This record gives sequence, structure tokens and C-alpha cells, in this order.
Amino acid sequence: MTDQHEDPKFDQWLQDAARTTYHAPRTTPREEMWKRIADARQKKHVIELRPWMRWVVAAAAVLVLGIGIGRWTANQSHVAGSDSATGTPVAREIDSLANQAYQVAATQYLSRTEALLTSFRADDRSANTARLVSQARELLSTTQLMLDSPAARDPRLNSLLQDLELVLMQIAVLNPLHDGRDRDLITQGMNQSNVLPKLRSAIPAGPVPVRTEGAL
Amino acid sequence: MDESQLIARVRAGDSAAERALYDAHVDRVYRLAFRLAGDDALAQDFTQETFIRAFDRLGSFRGEAAFSTWLHTITTTVVLNGLRKVRRFRQREADIDDARDIGVAQRHAEPDLKARLKQAIDDLPEGYRTVFLMHDVEGYTHEEIGAALGVETGTSKAQLSRARAKLRVALSDFAGEWVK
Repeated sequence: MTDQHEDPKFDQWLQDAARTTYHAPRTTPREEMWKRIADARQKKHVIELRPWMRWVVAAAAVLVLGIGIGRWTANQSHVAGSDSATGTPVAREIDSLANQAYQVAATQYLSRTEALLTSFRADDRSANTARLVSQARELLSTTQLMLDSPAARDPRLNSLLQDLELVLMQIAVLNPLHDGRDRDLITQGMNQSNVLPKLRSAIPAGPVPVRTEGAL
Repeated sequence: MDESQLIARVRAGDSAAERALYDAHVDRVYRLAFRLAGDDALAQDFTQETFIRAFDRLGSFRGEAAFSTWLHTITTTVVLNGLRKVRRFRQREADIDDARDIGVAQRHAEPDLKARLKQAIDDLPEGYRTVFLMHDVEGYTHEEIGAALGVETGTSKAQLSRARAKLRVALSDFAGEWVK
């Protein structure tokens, strides 16, 4: 196979060309990044999904697991007969499942918001504005629901949700035909409020379950 | 102060030591993130995420490998996972845009060498592209690449060789440039 042959001249040319023309980095913005890292680390341990937030579990479980969990609980109740008091194995199992469902749903919401904001910042093509606007509106509704929930009693989560609400609201009202200046202002605002590092700090490590996409 | 002392001070909560450790490694992390992402905002995000994770998990760093190797493992994980997310997001948009554009003739200008080189590198499979950029562009050794990506050194060498072969075929129109 000729294409597998070594070609030192080509390799050298390729290295030189790629180093100078392919994604050549600018000077490292040390101070800007350090400020955001320090800020995010300071707030890191704050935005946690607390146990008492689990009140939304039932709704989230229905949203996330849908008919499946409904059928499961119905079957368990039937089997358990009148044994439905809190603290029974069945009730504990339902609670545990629901808690997991809430975590999944909340993580999914935060991950989708992160993906939207990351893409918004990285992509200045106006052609995508209409899509971003539509997704921002959808996520904005979820954000506002969360702000109205007991979950928002946590001051740090509340602060994050308020930042997200502001950014999503700004994106949601962007005019796709005249969005250049507005995009810059939104991006500046995102940078100043460190909303992306804070958001990432709030997302638990590990893969986002794809089966629940769009559940919130 | 050597690096192990610096790391011990970071573990003890010394913020000045955190900054010193950051200063010692940030250039290389940012450069790699930028080469892989091709976007300053993304490169900054990935760099920040790398250091946030590294500081949070420093307790699990046992010092069996060099700190830089451990850090670049985090960097490549953060960057490659992040790029997959962005790609999936953009792909969903592109799919919808493509559906709208059905029947519209596409015209492309003849790309120059720089554009063709960019396209050829972008078109490489993820593993080939990562190894090529780390080795040929950023100067990592195969040992460092193997450790960062969790592959054997031989795999890194093989992927580099295949990446170069693919690039040579993709850029064959410009053969005169390198046989001068």
C-alpha cells in the first residue's frame, strides 16, 4: 500500500504547515482563566442537589420514567395490598427510585443548558440563532419552574438559576436578523457572571443519561 | 520548591501554591485545548474545567506518574468529551438545516492549501486527529500520549502513521509543496 509508506519530506512539511496554520493558539489568557477558576472553586461546594429538594421527585419521576414507573408502582401497590404507609419497603423503594429520577432529570436540565450556552458562545453564525432562541425558550420555562420550587431556597442554586434565567431570557428574545451586537453583549455578560463555570460545577460528574433527553 | 512539595501545599489548602501549579502548566493545557477545539472560548472553558477537576481530585493523585501526565489525562478527557457534546448539539442543528436546504444547489469555492489542510485534519477519525495534533503539532512523546489517552505506546505510533497516510492522500494535490 503506497499510502502507508513513510515520507520524511511530507512529514516535515505537514508538521510545519499544521503548527503554523491549524488552530494556532493565541497567548494564554492566564489571568482571565484563573479568575474564573478561583471563582468557580469558591462556589463549588455550594451548588449541590440537597436531599430536601426531593419533593419534586414524584413529578420528575413521572416525567422521566413515564408509564413504566406508573405501572411498576401500581403493581407494587396491588401486591402490597394495604401496606402503603411511609417507611414500608415498597414506599422506600419508590422514594429511592424517585430520588434517582430527580437527580437524572436535574442533571439533564443542567447539561442541556450547558450545551446550549457553550454552543452559543462558540458559534457566532447567525444562521443558528432561530434554533438557539427556540431552545433557550424551552429551557427558560424549566428554569422558571425550578426558581418557583423549594429547590431554589438554596441560596447558591438560586443564584445560579437567576443567572441562567437572565442569559436564557436574553437569548430567547434575540432577533435572528440583527443579532451581532446583542450576541456580543450576552457573551460579555456570561463571562462577567462566570455562569458557565458555575453551571459546570453544579453538574455531577459522569455521563448524562440520554434516555431521559427532553424530559424536563 | 519542587513539584511534589508544591502539590503537598496545594493539598494542604495553600492558594498561592495552587496558583503556582496553575502557572507551571496552564500554557501547555491551553495550547492543547485550543489545538483540539479550534476556538478560544471553548479552549478557555476546557482549560478551566481541567484545572477545577485537577484541584478537586488532587487527593487521588498518587505521584506514580508525573503530575503533567496526570493533568494531560484530565485535559484530553475534558476536551474530547466537551467536543463530542458540542458536535452532537451542532449536528442536531445541521440536520434540521439540511432538511430545509433540500433542493438548494451547493456551491463551494476551490479551497486553498490552508483550508484543505484544515479540512483534512478535521476529517481524521478522532483518535488519529488527537494523536497527530499531540505529537506532530504540540510535541508530546508517544509515551505521554499513551498515558494521557490510556492506550499503548504502539497504538499511538500506529495511529500517527495512519493519520499521516490519510493526510498525504487528502493533500496529494499539493505534492509539489513538499517535494521541492
